[in-house]
Amino acid sequence: MKRLKKDSSTPSFGPAHPTTDVAAASPIARDLAGLLTHEDVDRARDRWRVSRARWAERRSKTLGRLSVLWLLVGPGVLVFLGENDAPSMLSYSATGARFGIGFFIPFVVLTFVMGLVVQEMTVRLGAVTHRGHAELIFDRFGRFWGFFAMGDLMVGNFLTLVTEFIGIRAGLGFFGIRPVVAVGAGLVVVFAAITTGRYWTWERITMGLAIFNALFVPAAILAHPNWAAVGRSLVTWSPLPHGNLFDILLLILADIGATVTPWMIFFQQSAVVDKGMQPRDISAGRFDTTLGALLAAAFGIAAILATAPLFHHGIDASQFEAAQFAEALEPWIGHIGAALFALGIFEAGIVAAIAIATSSAYAFGEVVHTGHSLNRPLREAWPFYSILLGSACAAAALVLIPHAPLEFIVLIVNVIAVLAMPPALAFLLLLVNDREVMGEYVNGFWENTAAIAVTVVLICAGLGFGIATVIHMG
Amino acid sequence: MRPELNGDHVKPSDAEIKVSAEAFEPGVDKVAAPDLKDPRVVLSLLEADQVVAAKQRTHFGRRKLSVGARVLLWGLRIYVVAMLVIVLISAIRAIHPVP
Repeated sequence: MKRLKKDSSTPSFGPAHPTTDVAAASPIARDLAGLLTHEDVDRARDRWRVSRARWAERRSKTLGRLSVLWLLVGPGVLVFLGENDAPSMLSYSATGARFGIGFFIPFVVLTFVMGLVVQEMTVRLGAVTHRGHAELIFDRFGRFWGFFAMGDLMVGNFLTLVTEFIGIRAGLGFFGIRPVVAVGAGLVVVFAAITTGRYWTWERITMGLAIFNALFVPAAILAHPNWAAVGRSLVTWSPLPHGNLFDILLLILADIGATVTPWMIFFQQSAVVDKGMQPRDISAGRFDTTLGALLAAAFGIAAILATAPLFHHGIDASQFEAAQFAEALEPWIGHIGAALFALGIFEAGIVAAIAIATSSAYAFGEVVHTGHSLNRPLREAWPFYSILLGSACAAAALVLIPHAPLEFIVLIVNVIAVLAMPPALAFLLLLVNDREVMGEYVNGFWENTAAIAVTVVLICAGLGFGIATVIHMG
Repeated sequence: MRPELNGDHVKPSDAEIKVSAEAFEPGVDKVAAPDLKDPRVVLSLLEADQVVAAKQRTHFGRRKLSVGARVLLWGLRIYVVAMLVIVLISAIRAIHPVP
């Protein structure tokens, strides 16, 4: 049984980490009863629904199982569809426009496998410890390393948030909507999602929005891709990309950064905790994460296929922004296809803005030990919600400032995500192999092998890019 | 002095655990909604360290990092800083090309 260390600054209140027993059976139940919060009650309500679904599973296996999965999916789907954000979809679009169907189709699938390896560990960490990632890093490694991890996260999150609002502005710009209106609409959606004061409702609203990432699928179908070539590329990883090595490496890095980023680790673990998942839910959490990865991979590949006509017709898309892709595609996929593409970019920005702002707020709340749950009302957890809304508002405002260095931010955001990932993975690996924290749920041999392989790939990709950059500059 | 909470003290046979379990007895066709105003019901549905008050009072202790782990973390930190400098220079030159 795992043990928690007592915090010397708080009353003597036992160390414990029972992973399978319920709180009512403990001797401190009466002490805690007077301290229950709104958050506890909402979480208990969610747990009750899961218990009821599990009970139903005994009577009707299929329906009951579906019901359990329906209740427990969320963090995994949201994190992957959230990461199919505006700069990511722009990376996929640039990939399709510059290299067509070939190497990058299976490569994108590989990046999602890498993402799946990483995110599965966050599900276990969250379900077993009931702690967010930032909190665990501070507790186990101290403030020095904690602030480094937080610095990477906060800087990366803010820059990414800016690019989400660039996507929102560009997506609606296709329909002639003014930037200030588009950005304002984005902020209203972020605000509306959190006013419910309930994690469950927030999760379902955001998932409802996230499913519109599928808009890239009809856009891809309208591009009439050569499905045989798609199948061949998946098997043979060819044709290989030709051209400037620096450009190819930049796209490789951008596509990795479109799938594996630090905010995903922090967000999913915190969401698993906020959802109230327990060790017995880990298999459902794995299903949720796999489902999210599959959907996001399919939609990412759809973006590549939708823009492949630009490659086949020799259109130079090297300087394209989101709306320009939609406009350039209009002759080949029609106005409806182009409109779907632009709406997809808008949706990608909205969902990611919600998820990334929430990720920053969770991390902040965990570090300063203030309320950090979407189950808390606004008045009870105002610092948490202030960070959430404040970071979104600041990013939105930056997008509206004339001559702000937006091009610069778009250029570096995915690259920074890839570079910041190895340290984040190192913390994750140390935590998930920590028997005091994880007990029987520590990583096994194959899980460690896969995670170390992902880390090595990321470091090699970063170093390769660095070397190519130095040569390119020389 | 509050009583200690640890795994050894958690007894599933405690009467309070029955609060939610009763609803799932065989033969019960319709599961009644729980009364979440009753703290015992709330506590019966959550794990001990899922309760906010318990989480606020207990923390995982600091872990002593091995030399290897410290070298790894410092190495990765240096890697990130060095790479960021390269990326920033590269991005600035991409936006303002040197004639």
